[in-house]
Amino acid sequence: MNSDFEEYLRGQSFRPIPAQWRGEILRAARAQPAAAPWWREWLWPCPAAWAGLAAAWGIIFLLSATSPEEPAEARQAVPAPGWAFAMLRQETEIIAQLSGSEESRPAPPLPPAALKPHSRRRAPQSIG
Amino acid sequence: MSSAVNLERLYDEHAQAIFAFVLNLLRHEADTRDVLQELFTKIARDGRLLDGVKDQRGFLLRVAHNQAIDLMRRRATRTRNYEQLAAGKAPIFAATDDPDQQALAGSLAEALGELPPEQRAVVHLKLWERQTFEQIAGALAISPNTAASRYRYAIDKLRVRLRPLYDEIK
Repeated sequence: MNSDFEEYLRGQSFRPIPAQWRGEILRAARAQPAAAPWWREWLWPCPAAWAGLAAAWGIIFLLSATSPEEPAEARQAVPAPGWAFAMLRQETEIIAQLSGSEESRPAPPLPPAALKPHSRRRAPQSIG
Repeated sequence: MSSAVNLERLYDEHAQAIFAFVLNLLRHEADTRDVLQELFTKIARDGRLLDGVKDQRGFLLRVAHNQAIDLMRRRATRTRNYEQLAAGKAPIFAATDDPDQQALAGSLAEALGELPPEQRAVVHLKLWERQTFEQIAGALAISPNTAASRYRYAIDKLRVRLRPLYDEIK
């Protein structure tokens, strides 16, 4: 229930809106471009960052697409067998003899992994 | 929606009410104009904003209120102090020839300006927009109970502040 006081306050009328505002506001409102599509609104906060990210992905894709295929031999890198090391040692000795050096240097020792079997089985150990 | 036609209709039907509400909140004519401009620009850009809205006045008042609050927050760090402005003598009521009415209008404007903005908004919507507490709650994003209590506090303050002058006039 409204009191007389509230009704009295209600009787106070506000200032009229300035008449010239109508034309100015409506004209300015219509001059604005239409709302951007949702994806543009979504990208709006940092368009340069999004464009940079897209460009980086494009470059990565192009490089990936245009790079030559890796040769199949290179893909299967097989370790040199033991006989290759033996041949190398033999050739080194021949070169040393041909060069006339008295002290033929011994060939570098073979890597143990190349000559030994590659089994990981451990030898049985007896205790006592 | 043909926004060109409806924009004019919307302005003619609601701009005065929005103007009074925002002016009562901000107590600054240029800022009030900015809020109105922003509001109608928003509607012009996207006419679908009003699709399905039954209470256009309530919707526009709510958007205007949000914009006014945003404006107050944005400018709170500036030298302009809205509370001081609100307590000042910004003319918000129409001028009259009756000196008693004019005096009461001036005192009422000052008393309204002394209210916190949230109470002022409730009082305005209740008294001059004749909204229910449910409608006010929807417009200001508060509960109906909060709207009612804010209204009671504000009316009590206004009554205390204006009673001498009101009794004299009556």
